[in-house]
Amino acid sequence: MYHGAPFKAIFSLPIFPCRNNNCLIYIHTMANSLQKVRLSEIFLTFAMIGLTGFGGGMAIVALVERVCVREKQWITAEEFLHGLAFGQILGPFSLNVCTFTGHHLRGICGGITAAVGFIFPSFMLMTLLSWLYFTYNKLPQLQAALKGTNPVIIGLIIVVAIEMGRKQIKGKNGALMASAAFTASVLLKLNAAWILLGAALWSLGSSCYYRRSR
Amino acid sequence: MIASLLTIAWIYLRIGLIFFGGGYVLIPLLNHIMVEQYQWLTLRQFLDGLALSQLTPGPLAMLATFTGFRAGGFPGALIATVCIFIPCVALMLIVGRNYERLKRIDIISSTLDGLLPAVVGLVAAAAWNLGGSSLASVKEFVVLAVGFAIFKWTKVTPMFVILGAGLVGLLIN
Repeated sequence: MYHGAPFKAIFSLPIFPCRNNNCLIYIHTMANSLQKVRLSEIFLTFAMIGLTGFGGGMAIVALVERVCVREKQWITAEEFLHGLAFGQILGPFSLNVCTFTGHHLRGICGGITAAVGFIFPSFMLMTLLSWLYFTYNKLPQLQAALKGTNPVIIGLIIVVAIEMGRKQIKGKNGALMASAAFTASVLLKLNAAWILLGAALWSLGSSCYYRRSR
Repeated sequence: MIASLLTIAWIYLRIGLIFFGGGYVLIPLLNHIMVEQYQWLTLRQFLDGLALSQLTPGPLAMLATFTGFRAGGFPGALIATVCIFIPCVALMLIVGRNYERLKRIDIISSTLDGLLPAVVGLVAAAAWNLGGSSLASVKEFVVLAVGFAIFKWTKVTPMFVILGAGLVGLLIN
């Protein structure tokens, strides 16, 4: 599900408020490098998160936050939020906060270990389910059951679009861009990748422009 | 095996590079590439894969594992999963390294903010395209409406809703 409220909170957060806290972060990193967390522990922790992280996106981020910030105190809440803000640039942010936290603990090896650990359980489960699906999808019972899930998945996508729209479309420009993307995809049958790239360039250009004119 | 592993690697790497705006943007991206362009999956199978990725823990992006499995068996699933995540993991490692020096982050965040409406448009378009070509009977529209209402106004986990929907499908079909 798309959990909009914390998402919005993160976006409205001043992304880089830590200029005054640099030395605080520095002290924290020092403390961390003194007591190195073992890679196996990183792997197991994130594998556990990956195994229990149902619901995607923000639900998983909340779980990572509880384990890494509150229980294990591997990373401060503020750094975690920064990681989350950066994590929205590319890819699923649940994976990104794991990579970020892992990197924070043990550098590049730690980051990769955390990412692999997090993905590993869902990968195994998903592969197993895919195999079962493609082997048995001729079964009439399974066909019937999946006939029930299809419309519900469409319903879920519609709800996600509405909730995201409520949170992310601000003002005329946003509405214009959303409807342009919709039209380009539905009527013009343009590739979603090109639409996304175009929107990214447009957005980058306009934020550079506003920055200069300010 | 339908496609060579190199093709799969290249396709998923490219998707990983334009994976902006969270997991749901994968729905239009993968639908276009897997169903329309390469025809590795039928629309039905794609929707079933979406249901499966909601049933399993982890990000929605595990849809890549499913489509990769279809395209090239277990090696395909592995390569698809690794390749789609290489760009974002690499980026997060770079960000982690330069975390204290990234002063121009306000440009990144405002660019992202400005881009998100397009993601919304694309997700809505995905619902339109997928629904238009997969919904046929009145029964299915009723299930759609009920599912929509549950997702919109209750906080039930999608996993349970999908399991329930599977049960309903078994009973009414």
